[in-house]
Amino acid sequence: MEIIQVSNLQKAYGENQVLRGIDFKAQAGEIIGVIGKNGAGKSTFLEILMTLKPYDNGNVLLFNKELTDLSTGQLEDTRKDISVVLQPTHFYKTLKVVELLKLFKAYYNSQVPIEQIITDFNLQPHRKKYFDKLSGGWKQIVSLAIAFLSEPKMLILDEPTTGLDPHMRNLLWTYITEYNKRTGGTVILTTHNMDEVELYCNKVMLLNEGINEVFDTIEGILSTGYKSINDFYLSKVSI
Amino acid sequence: MFATQLKYDLLMFSREIFYMVFTIIVPPMTYLFMGQLFGDAMYAGNLSYAETYTPSFILLITFGVIFFAFGFDQVMNRTTGVEKRINLSPVSKRTLLVSNILRSIIITSFGYFLVFFIGMIAYDLSFQPFNFIFAFVTFIGFNAALLVISSAIYSLFTSMNGALVFSIVIFQVVMFTGGFTMPIDMMPKFVQVIADFNPLYHMNQLFIAVWNGQFQIDNSTLQSIGFIIGCVLVSLFVLRFLNKARK
Repeated sequence: MEIIQVSNLQKAYGENQVLRGIDFKAQAGEIIGVIGKNGAGKSTFLEILMTLKPYDNGNVLLFNKELTDLSTGQLEDTRKDISVVLQPTHFYKTLKVVELLKLFKAYYNSQVPIEQIITDFNLQPHRKKYFDKLSGGWKQIVSLAIAFLSEPKMLILDEPTTGLDPHMRNLLWTYITEYNKRTGGTVILTTHNMDEVELYCNKVMLLNEGINEVFDTIEGILSTGYKSINDFYLSKVSI
Repeated sequence: MFATQLKYDLLMFSREIFYMVFTIIVPPMTYLFMGQLFGDAMYAGNLSYAETYTPSFILLITFGVIFFAFGFDQVMNRTTGVEKRINLSPVSKRTLLVSNILRSIIITSFGYFLVFFIGMIAYDLSFQPFNFIFAFVTFIGFNAALLVISSAIYSLFTSMNGALVFSIVIFQVVMFTGGFTMPIDMMPKFVQVIADFNPLYHMNQLFIAVWNGQFQIDNSTLQSIGFIIGCVLVSLFVLRFLNKARK
């Protein structure tokens, strides 16, 4: 089942043409890494998929619905099926973890019990801590727990493991892959960590100067002679 | 969803020491302290300290709550990325806005009754049902006007530091040129000129008159009402312009 279908996507900020005609597809259950150097248009591309930003030309179909055809109410409905983890993640700083979970449960009208989420994500020791007082790693875990409250069809992660130590990175990826296997949800992420892309993603899209230079499976890329995805990235992207 | 949002909006306000100090703690304390110093004095319109400054301090609390907890809070959420994360959730902007407005009205109403209660206990302030109801309706009207003005002003800020400095400075300016510390006609000429351009000064004059049953339509009140309406219209224009520009 096709979750995302993007064709000839273009977006400019004034004179700066950030996206110059992106073509992209994602099937249910895929984990796709979007890579490229800073300023390549990764975040803009994701923000369009998040329904946050309008675009100038092209088509973006989420769950078979063209985004530009949707009213504000329909966009809010579409967002029920999308969850995001941003970097850095910010929530209301004077709410405790359990209160944030309750608030977002109301937003998503979620049927998932708060206690189950707290148990699943090992948040018991942190449930009464203010979000602002958590370490970077635990903030990301809480953010992921909130993202999973809605049992989304699509999960968008913008550099989710930046600044995390190896244990927290591992923990975060355990949750993401477990979610992917359990629900068949699609995961789209940006990262600068090529080892993670090779280890966890099914497909990679390389954005360069606003164009998707390569969009292929990990196996497809490695079969062309690259030793690793890191090797592929270094040879394709100049400073 | 709305009840949950409002509950947490109120909880967040109560946990912000900065907001609490500037809105719920400092103005009533100042009202009490000034009353000890000037409690026996008489003011314009042959009004006592309590009759003059009870409505003034209610208005000062309203200003503080709306400018800090509504306006500054918007800048904080926008610049720290909280607004972006909330916008990604399926909660309607109307729910967030109405909850925010209702939170401000609940807190300012609490301030209204708190200062009124202090006035009754400490300064024998009398309760006159008609004036009280008319004053409360006027107070709700000022709430609405200040919400619009504050929203327009703070929508111009793109950094939290700028908004914080502005908030602290404007609080001082409003205190001195709004007639909240001492009568404006006892102040230097330049302060009186600034006061004419301060919507809070006009609100204060109107509110004192309404509170004490002295409100009447004359040139002075029409000018004050006209100036407040003008500020609201300019603010609505700014909000509309900025909304279009952001799209």
